[in-house]
Amino acid sequence: MKTFDGYRRPDGSIGVRNHVIVINTVGELSALTRKIANLTPGVIPVIHHGGVAQFPEDHTQTLRTLVGTAGHSNVSATLVVGTENDPIAQEIYKILKKKGKPVHTVCLNKNQKIPEILHEGRSWLLTALENSKKEVREQCDITELIVGLECGGSDAWSGITANPSIGAFSDMIVREGGTSVLAETTEAIGAEHILASNAINREVGREFLDIVRTYEHRIKQTGEDIRSANPTPGNMAGGLTTLEEKSLGCIKKGGGTPLKEVISYAGKPTEKGFVFMDTPGYDVESVCGLAAGGAQIVLFSTGKGSPTGSPIVPVIKIGTNPKVYEIMSEHIDINAGKIIDQNKSINDIGKEIFDKVITVSNGEKTAAENELNQEFAIWRLAESI
Amino acid sequence: MVDDPGNYLRQDHLLIPSITAGRKVKVAMGYSFKGYMRSDGSAGTRNNIGIISSVICSSTVTNEIASKIDYAVPIVHSNGCAQLGDDFSVTKSMLSGVAENPNFHSNLLIGLGCETNQVTGLLAAIPNVKPIDGFSIQQMAGGTNTVAKGVAIASEWSKDITNEQRTDLPISKLKIGVITTDMDEQTLAITTPVVSALIDELLENDSTVICSLTRRLEPSGKILATKTKDTRSKEMLKTLSEGLNRRRWENDEGYALSVFSDEEKSLAAHEARLLGSKDLVELLNINEKPSNRGLYLLKSSDNIVETISNFVSVGCNVALIISKEGILTTSNVIPCISLAPCNESQIHRDHVDFYIARGNEEKQTVTLLEKLLQVSSGELTALEEYELGEFAIPHIGTTF
Repeated sequence: MKTFDGYRRPDGSIGVRNHVIVINTVGELSALTRKIANLTPGVIPVIHHGGVAQFPEDHTQTLRTLVGTAGHSNVSATLVVGTENDPIAQEIYKILKKKGKPVHTVCLNKNQKIPEILHEGRSWLLTALENSKKEVREQCDITELIVGLECGGSDAWSGITANPSIGAFSDMIVREGGTSVLAETTEAIGAEHILASNAINREVGREFLDIVRTYEHRIKQTGEDIRSANPTPGNMAGGLTTLEEKSLGCIKKGGGTPLKEVISYAGKPTEKGFVFMDTPGYDVESVCGLAAGGAQIVLFSTGKGSPTGSPIVPVIKIGTNPKVYEIMSEHIDINAGKIIDQNKSINDIGKEIFDKVITVSNGEKTAAENELNQEFAIWRLAESI
Repeated sequence: MVDDPGNYLRQDHLLIPSITAGRKVKVAMGYSFKGYMRSDGSAGTRNNIGIISSVICSSTVTNEIASKIDYAVPIVHSNGCAQLGDDFSVTKSMLSGVAENPNFHSNLLIGLGCETNQVTGLLAAIPNVKPIDGFSIQQMAGGTNTVAKGVAIASEWSKDITNEQRTDLPISKLKIGVITTDMDEQTLAITTPVVSALIDELLENDSTVICSLTRRLEPSGKILATKTKDTRSKEMLKTLSEGLNRRRWENDEGYALSVFSDEEKSLAAHEARLLGSKDLVELLNINEKPSNRGLYLLKSSDNIVETISNFVSVGCNVALIISKEGILTTSNVIPCISLAPCNESQIHRDHVDFYIARGNEEKQTVTLLEKLLQVSSGELTALEEYELGEFAIPHIGTTF
């Protein structure tokens, strides 16, 4: 059985990082949250502008994402910055406490002076940072790993090199008893029948087709053609001509193992194996959902080169062609372009990705982590109220 | 109860020699502030460089460039790709509007390269009236090169800014955004006499006032419709008063409509008085710029960061935020003066710029006007001092 060195949490989950984070509940507190993080080097700010003026479907999704992020196994301790009597802050606190996660809320009483608020937040974080340094990695079974599968800035090589290699990795980790989570519902449009036919049973296949249909329904209601936004200008410059072409390449990240489960945005897999999460094709929102759903690492293939990361999970970039790896090397971890010019097979690169996942799980930093790419955005469903 | 509002005001609010306290508010024509005149006729109350990301993917590089340049302000957000229709149009017009804001001396646009919201499209949409440049990370072959080129360009603009001076400009050059948040009847009762008198006075002096039309004010649409001669605005306001109507996908119609309660209608009717006695020129859609001077309403959300950012995109150079207890966020482009009601039970909060008390409204209006002019002339607001500026783009749809 393969292993890696991770952090075992009180709730039994395993982290591959040991971050101390500060997270806001509503947009009004975003700047204050960032300021608290800036005053405490080593602490990662997780900032968003939602949490207010949202319909219930957005409120529920925002809360699920914030809880999943704040309580993530890669997080050692969480400071929640909320308003006075803030229900979101109270909910996050309650859930994290139950998990045994170190958590503190700064719920603002507006009679407090700003320096007092900053001091309270910073003091708690300094202690949390000290405590996090005492936590040590221990040997963990690879079956504990959940790996998100994502692509961004795809080109014509994506479906030939990087995505099938990720698919090979997915098959390997599933064989080892781990979990891979494919995302981006938009990028299954036109190829949904292939994934559905690979579902473990008819019910899972139907669930998958349902989320694709819901997506298409939303698109129709905008009165627009999805093809005006996808493929993107970059995809087209990279040689992709249609969304179907992009989708056929995109789903190859799922490999050949049966689809076990379909989960909602930021939802947690209940099965081990190959899983699909309903997310938009917008990379940062999609990665945010995968992380909030418990993925400890995300694989991200890119044909044009994308620097984005995540505040809480390492994102491993896989370049689809030799040129992008050469010119965007500061943002890319693995060169799947070796399939084109170095006689490497899809399985060779799949194995390289597998090995990289283990070393990154053990603590090796990714390009996005080195560049401090910590983008965070929650998928919004409806207009702000 | 203490009658003299001066007892509630900060000392610096009262050190205004040019206004005779207590008399009927009347500001002399030609009253001025010190600002930065732009070549398109607009005026800046700040003189900064906008480093604007076209998409979230370029936000880290955008922030890094801004952190290395004096006077640079990063405009980062979570939008810019996988957007369709009106939602994409809002993102694009929002960012071009921000670049046009008179508080920016110059703008540098930073994209990733493969996103829906291309830098080239933004450059084409932004009028060529001040220094501007833009490129993408993929075009520059990585973040390091992008930062180096961005810093080289913006450094030159920064040197230019160092040599620029404020000049006397008429009050008519001010475009003031007004937003209420966290409101109740008591707060409105205390603040309305002063704020409405200030709005009247600004309009008499040919300034432009843009009030946010939030969900809370929408139920008063029929009342507000009587204040405008513009037919389109009249109809829109009447429709808005019929119930909350926003885009969502929980039903086949693709929107949600719920009727306003009597309580909501009552509060909205109170809030409508805040706009003062002058006629309303027009109701503006999100990101729609006023075509002339005068009093406008701007469709807005209850998300304070989105709404303040919307003010920036329509050209406001200063804003007033009225709330029950003050707010903890501001714009990173325009100064926002935080107003709150004062009563005996409340203590001084360091994030509120100006307290309004019951009584002696004329004197307080004069003092508030002076405060507005001082802030427009460069005095930092409390939240600017704490560097709590933010930016966000309103969502009117989902991403794909």
